[in-house]
Amino acid sequence: MSRLHDMGGRFGDGSIPVPRNDENEVVNFEPTFKYDWHARAWAITLAAGALGEWNIDVSRHYRECLPPKDYINFSYYEKWLAALVNLLIDKELISLNELKEYVSAAKNGTIDNIIEKEIILDERAWLAKDVQKTLGWGGPSIRDVNISPVFNIGDKVITQNYSPNKDITGGHTRLPKYAMGRVGVIHSYNNNHVFPDKNAHGLGENPLPLYTVEFKSSELWGELAESQNDSILLDLWEPYLKPIPN
Amino acid sequence: MSEKKKIADGHHHSHDHAHSHLPSDPELRVKAVETLLLNKGLIDSKTLDELIDTYENRIGPKNGANVVAKAWVDPEYKKRLLIDATSAIRELSYQGRQGENMVVVENTPEIHNVIVCTLCSCYPWPVLGIPPTWYKSDEYRSRTVREPRKVLLEFGLSLDPKVQIKVWDSTAEIRYLVLPMRPKGTEHMGESELAELVTRNSMIGTGLPKEIK
Repeated sequence: MSRLHDMGGRFGDGSIPVPRNDENEVVNFEPTFKYDWHARAWAITLAAGALGEWNIDVSRHYRECLPPKDYINFSYYEKWLAALVNLLIDKELISLNELKEYVSAAKNGTIDNIIEKEIILDERAWLAKDVQKTLGWGGPSIRDVNISPVFNIGDKVITQNYSPNKDITGGHTRLPKYAMGRVGVIHSYNNNHVFPDKNAHGLGENPLPLYTVEFKSSELWGELAESQNDSILLDLWEPYLKPIPN
Repeated sequence: MSEKKKIADGHHHSHDHAHSHLPSDPELRVKAVETLLLNKGLIDSKTLDELIDTYENRIGPKNGANVVAKAWVDPEYKKRLLIDATSAIRELSYQGRQGENMVVVENTPEIHNVIVCTLCSCYPWPVLGIPPTWYKSDEYRSRTVREPRKVLLEFGLSLDPKVQIKVWDSTAEIRYLVLPMRPKGTEHMGESELAELVTRNSMIGTGLPKEIK
């Protein structure tokens, strides 16, 4: 059981939209933002996130919870914007009436008339002078907690099946469907990281051991595997894994 | 216990999804939300400009190319990069958002690495910038884990069947960068010349560095 965003391995998708030049060669360059509104949608999402009312796992979960027909139809930054609006309303940073007012002004072409001249910035607002500093810090997910990993490098493990989030049915998880119930080998241990399955639902950071787990291509795709040699590696938290005897 | 479990619906209001009130033209949609947030003082227009300028003009795949070129000419640096990529990359002042926890994976004659994020669009911003459209596409996200060889062919990359492909699905907050193999015949070249050969796609695994003519 999963949601539409969890698309690894599914059938039906066509060619990768690789940009090419007139000689049909692959082009490595494309503008950072194809349209101005892409840049604006991206930037207001980052700036609103900096208000501190939600974390990265919450914002991912909001994108994943868009109704399936919207998730499929929306382009990338439309998903970002829709999830942002739902977050802003749920966290009561804006009201539905305010949203409707601004939407009708945008539709009527009168929105430029309601731009305020004198704006008092909220004390939580991200200031331009702090942008480089904050980007440089980022938001590390490693936590210095005294938890020893249960698994060792080389251990064989099997991943959880069905809904891996044990607190919330259909809740956020980072164990993709294509790797559920499959046998892999612990490739490395990456310290303790904030656990998204809880953090996305306001249940605390709950840092836990994070491993990189290697799966043989044939374990995931059976006889469809392109090569018996290939493998897929995923970063998985300890609760996603169960021990199996070597 | 199970009756206490909550069902996730993402938001907690009983009304329809708020986003359904947005206009159909995405430009107007952004304009409405941006203007509302600006007027409420929740965001500052100068911050938006600074953010966009940073990723349009300052942070991009040139950073990653400098990391790769340094690893090609400096064996000690390469060693540090493969052991602790976050620190080694920070030596070049690249750090922070979406690169807090870096891992560099090395291509060899036997192993070819490819990076994907099947669940969203995780990508190492400090060294590669904002991901290209194809990286965020459903096609790349769905197919790369199941049929990486067919996907690479679409990028013009045909790998020997004996080469092992390792696909890294960025499911946590670790961000991956591929260290491609140094092209043949570049022994005479210095770091900055070499950096010119390193393409963005070669650091994701969907391409190779430029050959010298």
